[in-house]
Amino acid sequence: MKGALGFGGLTLGFMAAALGVVTMGVGIHRRDGRIMATGRQFVFMVLLGALVAAGAMEWALVTHDFSLAYVVKNHSRSTPLLYTVAALWGALEGSILLWALVLSGYLTVTVRRLRARASDPLVAWATLVGLVVAAFFFALMLGPANPFRPTKGLIPADGLGPNPLLQNHPLMAVHPPMLYLGYVGMTIPFSFAIAALVTGRVGEGWLLETRRATLVAWAFLSVGIVLGAWWSYEVLGWGGYWAWDPVENASFIPWLTATAFLHSVVVQERRGMLRVWNLSLIIATFCLTILGTFLTRSGVLNSVHAFSQSSIGAWLLTFLGLAAATGLGLIAWRGDRLRTPGRIDSPVSREGAFLANNLLFAGFAFVVLLGTVFPLVVEALRDEKLSVGEPYFDRMTTPIGLALLFLMAVAPALPWRAASRAVLRRRLAAPAWFGALVMAACAVLGVRGVAELAAFGLGAFAVAGIVRQYALGVAATRRAAAGSGSGVGWVGALRRTVAGNRRLYGGLVVHVGVVVIAVALAASMGYTTKREFHLAPGERGSLHGYHFTYLGTATHETGQKTTIQARVRVQRGGRTLGVYGPALSIFPNSPQAIGTPSGRTGLVRDVYLTLVSSSGPDGRVTIGAQLSPLVLWLWVGGGVIFFGTGVAVWRPIRRSRRRAETAPEPLEPAAPPVPSVDEDVMAEAPA
Amino acid sequence: MEVIDPPVPRVRPKPKRLRYLVAGGLCAAAVLFLVVGGLSRNIVYFRTVSEAVKSKPSEGTHRFRLMGAVVSGSTQRTTDGVVFDVTDGSNRVRVVHHGDPPELFKDGIPVVCEGRWQGDSFDSDRIMIKHGAEYKPPAVDASK
Repeated sequence: MKGALGFGGLTLGFMAAALGVVTMGVGIHRRDGRIMATGRQFVFMVLLGALVAAGAMEWALVTHDFSLAYVVKNHSRSTPLLYTVAALWGALEGSILLWALVLSGYLTVTVRRLRARASDPLVAWATLVGLVVAAFFFALMLGPANPFRPTKGLIPADGLGPNPLLQNHPLMAVHPPMLYLGYVGMTIPFSFAIAALVTGRVGEGWLLETRRATLVAWAFLSVGIVLGAWWSYEVLGWGGYWAWDPVENASFIPWLTATAFLHSVVVQERRGMLRVWNLSLIIATFCLTILGTFLTRSGVLNSVHAFSQSSIGAWLLTFLGLAAATGLGLIAWRGDRLRTPGRIDSPVSREGAFLANNLLFAGFAFVVLLGTVFPLVVEALRDEKLSVGEPYFDRMTTPIGLALLFLMAVAPALPWRAASRAVLRRRLAAPAWFGALVMAACAVLGVRGVAELAAFGLGAFAVAGIVRQYALGVAATRRAAAGSGSGVGWVGALRRTVAGNRRLYGGLVVHVGVVVIAVALAASMGYTTKREFHLAPGERGSLHGYHFTYLGTATHETGQKTTIQARVRVQRGGRTLGVYGPALSIFPNSPQAIGTPSGRTGLVRDVYLTLVSSSGPDGRVTIGAQLSPLVLWLWVGGGVIFFGTGVAVWRPIRRSRRRAETAPEPLEPAAPPVPSVDEDVMAEAPA
Repeated sequence: MEVIDPPVPRVRPKPKRLRYLVAGGLCAAAVLFLVVGGLSRNIVYFRTVSEAVKSKPSEGTHRFRLMGAVVSGSTQRTTDGVVFDVTDGSNRVRVVHHGDPPELFKDGIPVVCEGRWQGDSFDSDRIMIKHGAEYKPPAVDASK
């Protein structure tokens, strides 16, 4: 019954999306606002269909309804509730369902937000494109990826349970939804980009419509990636958090192009340049999310030959090809309108820096994409299996990352159009000196790696510049307030400054988060030490002043898993830091043992313990010990990025309601850009 | 209320632009050269035991991944790891592994070892156990 309900939901979703596309098309063709308004209503029915389907699946999972093949494969009676709920995104079919649900949610929010403008062709076309994408994902589930396929033969009394890796850590309940919120959110700016091309309104209008949606999606994608790294660190037990695995890269490549997009739109808003580039970037980002889904969900990574076992890969590839071809074709067709009169006057200017930033991000994305796809291409063409080693990624991306860090330190201080030497000196000298000092201090303290030194120095440079910009802004606000006779305190002035230009100050907070992550990456990659100890009970191993005493092993059994846990006492300088329990778990549905690392998380360094192998005949176990500096700050940096994006997109509710009522907004703002975009420039502009 | 941007008049390309294009093209070519070079230096091939034996003369000290099943009874502990034989049914190679083998390492299971030829044996520093979600080797009779 739940199967029928769910399939009904899917059918409703597909039909509503298809009818919505047709209605919208007719409305646009006849230029009839009433028909378009009707077409808009179908979005709510798509959401309803997705909610019913996802609800039916969760209901089936929670009530152990093993008449559904998906439930048998991804759930068992002993699975804890959290992982039962999370099983929705544990496998292919469910994750497509989550995709459809998130997409219909985004579409609903967008359509509601622009409800006063349903008959505007730009909005109508964007809705149509969004509905086409939704229809595709519902069609996938009605066809090759049906989550409600009934169990073949007898209904088993119990299921197999989720993949052990997916039921070993609560982060699994958060990481995939975050990633999907990011991935799928890119559909909104993509829809508006296509709509802009179709309607010929390729100016800045579509960018303004999608600015917040893009930022929100980007924030979720960033957090999703960081959470994925954290999960990897907490579950996989190899001591690292990023291995340039194709599945990781699949989420990272669209993040790179989306980040490039977030920066280059500013140039278009401000100077009207880079139109083709921005359209291409967002179309590429969308295509890369589809490519990512293809890579992770079609089985192509195991072997390109697995690809033919299910038609899902062919569906996704076809859709990817269509999306890319449509985008490129439209850009070519609109070529005449896309030419812009603006030029970059000087490379040492804000727009010059944005351009360099974009080239670097695009190069970064290309490097990662090449390394990810190359093995697949070779296997498909020459039937030879190979993998691209991590050194390729590390060596290629480190210089790009450092160059980006440098730009991040310099660019926010550059004025638009051209920078005079005096301005550069005034704005950059102090932060640059600070960066140099930090670099020297690190060198004195024993940091030797060139990349590490550069990362620490550039990070300090960037943060000093950000602090300076905040200080100048707050001071200017205070001066202005005092001038008008109503003085404000520092906190009030800070709030007012940020509220005056949320995108700038929020963006700077995001930059702080990125610096935190960059420093943590450099430290933990460059200065991690590890060793394995083969210990009998009572024996002790040492690593850099830390002593590890193996106390014994205990075995716990639950219905979900059998866990062998070693107890290890960690001491440093005669002080006991605690007893930790790295463990290995065996799940009934898999021959694979899953490690659960354990250790002490600290502000300065993590002590990370793993049970490499449990006691053999001689009663000894192998314990892996690892000391990694600053790992905690990777996750903190992710939080700062999320918070900063929140600052940038936050809008008090009252104001947004008023805005909706006064719509339609001007579509092509010919007015000069918002003067408050750069307080710094205002404060220091030569008279 | 359709607002359409007027087409922007075509700007006559200045000779300076050509120079930028050439410079940009050269930069792109240099970057491409570096990337492809980096890629080709870091490729690790997967080889079955028979393929590895066949390509041994040309392999030199290149790293690659050796796939096969652990021959029953061939495993011995050494001071810094284990020594064992792997087979794909027709050929057999001795693997000298540095480091502790993973928890699941035992006779008969399919493994992937990463390393390079060292004389007649394969010098490995990484053992991956194959399991469900990854590539499956062709079934072999490991008792041979």
